[in-house]
Amino acid sequence: MHMTNSLSTRRSFLKRMAKLSAITAAATMFPGILFASEQEEGIPNSANLDWKKGPCRFCGVGCGILVGTENGKAVAVKGDPNSSVNKGLLCVKGYHQTMCIQSKDRLTHALVKKNGKYVKTPISEALDIVANKMKDTISAHGKDSVAMYTSGQSTIPEGYVASKLMKGAIGTNNLDCNARLCMASAVTGFLTTFGADEPMGCYEDIDHADYFITWGNNMAEMHPVLFSRMLEQKTRRGAKIIDFATRTTRSSTASDRSILFEPQTDLAVANAICYEIINNGWVNKSFVEKHCSFSKGLTNIGYGVEDKFKFTDKPEKIDFASYKEFLKDYTPEKVEKYSKVSAKDIKYLASIYGDPNKKVVSYWCMGMNQHTRGTWMNNLMYNIHLLTGKISQPGNGPFSLTGQPSACGTAREVGTFTHKLPHGVVMNEKDRRMAAKIWKVPYERIPAKPTYHATEMFRAVDRGDIKFIWTQATNPLVSLPKTSRYRPAMEKKSCFVVVSDVFPTPTSDVADVILPASWHIEKSGLYGNSERRTQHWDKMIEGPGDTTPDAWMFIEVAKRMGYGDLFPYSKENHVEEIYNEYRQFHEGAKHGMAPLEVLKKESGAIWPYVNGKSTQWRFNAKYDPACTNGEDFDFYGKPDGRAVIWQRPYEPAPEVPDSDYPFWLNTGRVIEHWHTGSMTRRIPVLHKAMPHAYAEFHPEDAKALGIRNGENIKVTSRRGSCVLPASINERGLPTKGQVFVPFFDENMMINDVTLDAFCPISKEPDYKKCAVKVEKA
Amino acid sequence: MKKRLGIISLFVLLFIAFIVVWNFSYQTGLEEAYIPIEKTQANSYIPSESGVFQRSEFALEYANMPIDKNHERTLDSYYNNRAYHGAPPSIPHTIKDEKSFGGNTCLQCHQNGGFVSKFNAYAPVTPHPEMVNCRQCHVAQNSRTLFKSANLIKVQAPKVGVNNALIGTPPMIPHQIQMRENCLSCHAGPAAPKEIRVSHPERINCRQCHVPTDRLVSEIKPFTRTNSNNDE
Repeated sequence: MHMTNSLSTRRSFLKRMAKLSAITAAATMFPGILFASEQEEGIPNSANLDWKKGPCRFCGVGCGILVGTENGKAVAVKGDPNSSVNKGLLCVKGYHQTMCIQSKDRLTHALVKKNGKYVKTPISEALDIVANKMKDTISAHGKDSVAMYTSGQSTIPEGYVASKLMKGAIGTNNLDCNARLCMASAVTGFLTTFGADEPMGCYEDIDHADYFITWGNNMAEMHPVLFSRMLEQKTRRGAKIIDFATRTTRSSTASDRSILFEPQTDLAVANAICYEIINNGWVNKSFVEKHCSFSKGLTNIGYGVEDKFKFTDKPEKIDFASYKEFLKDYTPEKVEKYSKVSAKDIKYLASIYGDPNKKVVSYWCMGMNQHTRGTWMNNLMYNIHLLTGKISQPGNGPFSLTGQPSACGTAREVGTFTHKLPHGVVMNEKDRRMAAKIWKVPYERIPAKPTYHATEMFRAVDRGDIKFIWTQATNPLVSLPKTSRYRPAMEKKSCFVVVSDVFPTPTSDVADVILPASWHIEKSGLYGNSERRTQHWDKMIEGPGDTTPDAWMFIEVAKRMGYGDLFPYSKENHVEEIYNEYRQFHEGAKHGMAPLEVLKKESGAIWPYVNGKSTQWRFNAKYDPACTNGEDFDFYGKPDGRAVIWQRPYEPAPEVPDSDYPFWLNTGRVIEHWHTGSMTRRIPVLHKAMPHAYAEFHPEDAKALGIRNGENIKVTSRRGSCVLPASINERGLPTKGQVFVPFFDENMMINDVTLDAFCPISKEPDYKKCAVKVEKA
Repeated sequence: MKKRLGIISLFVLLFIAFIVVWNFSYQTGLEEAYIPIEKTQANSYIPSESGVFQRSEFALEYANMPIDKNHERTLDSYYNNRAYHGAPPSIPHTIKDEKSFGGNTCLQCHQNGGFVSKFNAYAPVTPHPEMVNCRQCHVAQNSRTLFKSANLIKVQAPKVGVNNALIGTPPMIPHQIQMRENCLSCHAGPAAPKEIRVSHPERINCRQCHVPTDRLVSEIKPFTRTNSNNDE
């Protein structure tokens, strides 16, 4: 009796120990996925689900997800523990993403406007109408009267067939995408400094850095999973986070240090940091001598607020001495006067970048990109990292984050911009010849001149120059700046509007034909995230009604227009066939893409994918096989192998607060909603946590205006107005004299108020700065 | 006589007129003095962010702490110490010095917690240590009897394991978070009730995955498009 008892206790003890050690091991590998038995009570068993891998549908972080399906329905989502991006963790949007598919107002059939009413129409008939309208418009008004506006949410095959149809088949460069509104300045920043787009580092930098400096970037809400990785390094290794911003946010609260600046003065502060680095002898001399050159461009470059605005920069080589002379205008003492950042804080930031024993990663996203000097600001960021040689090494580097799941993969790599081709630009004959050869079209058909960037495209619709526009996976009438102009523009009879989407939006409200698109997991596809990682997923469930993958709708229209021989893809397998064709554009050590077999098996691979290996740090000979100059670093994007340090001054914003419009207006996002909310607002968990937009005020401004929390107020600019409830010191706290409004709410259209000024180099609008007045509604 | 009657009736009339006028002006005066109460929109759906990351410096310790099975609190005992779900808990132990103020006494144990051998329990951690007049809200239970009994209806406290929107997704926050913005104080450490002790305190940024649900605050209607002209 005694014996069996002790045996059983010993056995159960051993069993318990084994279980405990397994749990501990699992917990260290995938923290955050284990729950005590008491906590799982009431949760249905998930053992019978079929789990399939893919990337998350939302932001540019590109977390790996696993979707659990049962009887053809998606019923669960969890983080993919095999994905090195998120290691099993997601954010609240990611976990609940599939819940939007079942929304009652899902677009399940094509709708064609007849006599002012939408009539349910079979998809093939709707595609006939689209193809005929496109053909008729071209024959009546020429190739450049039709346009297509796609998305950083389009999959790689979708972007590729859009480009092939517009540029290769029809022969017009009237193709641009919503990534122009978020990533264009990052692209021009990379191209002007390095001659090659996209970050040199990768997310693994987080595991090595001593300091994270975020520039105008609320990562705790916008890139939460990356921020959680930073927090992990902060608690485990004592890494430091410094938040440099115009607004106190959740990220500021979590940081070691929060430094606030006056909007637009980031240009001056970045130059002041460079001044300090040089003045204190913190320049990495051998790195700069071997790998950098100095240039300056034009100044007083304008803001693009007028139609048909044109600008071309004229770069000019300069030497280190004249650059040093230029920086004398940016001593911390001079800059503190208008940046509202104390000279002490500027010196503190410079000392972190300047310390050769500290590894620093800088992160930024829309704060720098949506900036009328966005290209300059990106250049200045690189200056800091180039002067100190803190670049292209584990834990050291500037890192430009993206906002859309395939802003990199589709918009930037496939090139769904007016000036781009899958490889290179339309202005370059070699690139046009390459595209013509792979597409099997006459080389003369691809026009050498870019046409409309996003803002100008909608201005052209307003002017009546564009008579047919097809938008896909995007909602411009909520996301464009100054929608107060572009909504009436799109309502004009002069332009035939086709909208492909999953849900009705203010953009589909003005459509002549609405095409029902498949959602993410209802089709196969590929996305490319911020760290150059390409990720593939297979179709997981059937979509409802007539819903069709966007790529297939493009192909069907191309066939109906007589371009069938250029699009010989099969319905079942078109994603694979298109990707294999597309890969030819990027062959070689500089941009080789991983083969599909690898992407199907693994949770993504980083390009350049060379000899079966992802290249984690580009331009560094230790990691990047494309480096050929025999040195430690090779910036091979530039003909001389040198990265450019740019002399870029501070210039003011186009519209600054004055006595009539005394506040800055800043717009952005919240963690619960993604972009224009067409998906996230149809997810009950997210909508209930954040049911509508609001306007954040500084408590002192609110007191002076007599505004109480929750009270409706009217925000007015020279372009339009918007009524929203005031929010005083809740989610975020703007600096005094500033109002912040999230833009997700189509019922409270803050973009009616914003200004459509843009960076003259990148043509990316500035949504972060315009002047408004505020009154009680 | 007639003259006298005329004078008297004139005075009577004047007196009546005076009363009427006086009353009228008094009444209108009252109305003027009345300040209507303006209705303001409730905006409490955006919880405050203050103190969200407090105690995050202990997160790793919480993650590595062994579980002391013998002294665990349960959710039942947690709720039993409150008049209703959401009410400030009462003080279930004797107080050393009646005149003492929170900063010197209560916070000694309740700021960071720890095992108190006198009570054979771990001290719960307060989510709002900056408010030091503890006994403004937290009172002792010095009597087991009632002055008069009452028919109090106790609000059903939120249950564990039923707040997930999908299988296995992070549970939503089923309670109000005003004055309880710092999640770790109740959901981590040895005093946390075992049913709600978080398995991953090192994550810190709780609201990355867990968002409040409206169930107990105010009903939020599903998303509707107010400007759309073609809702089917």
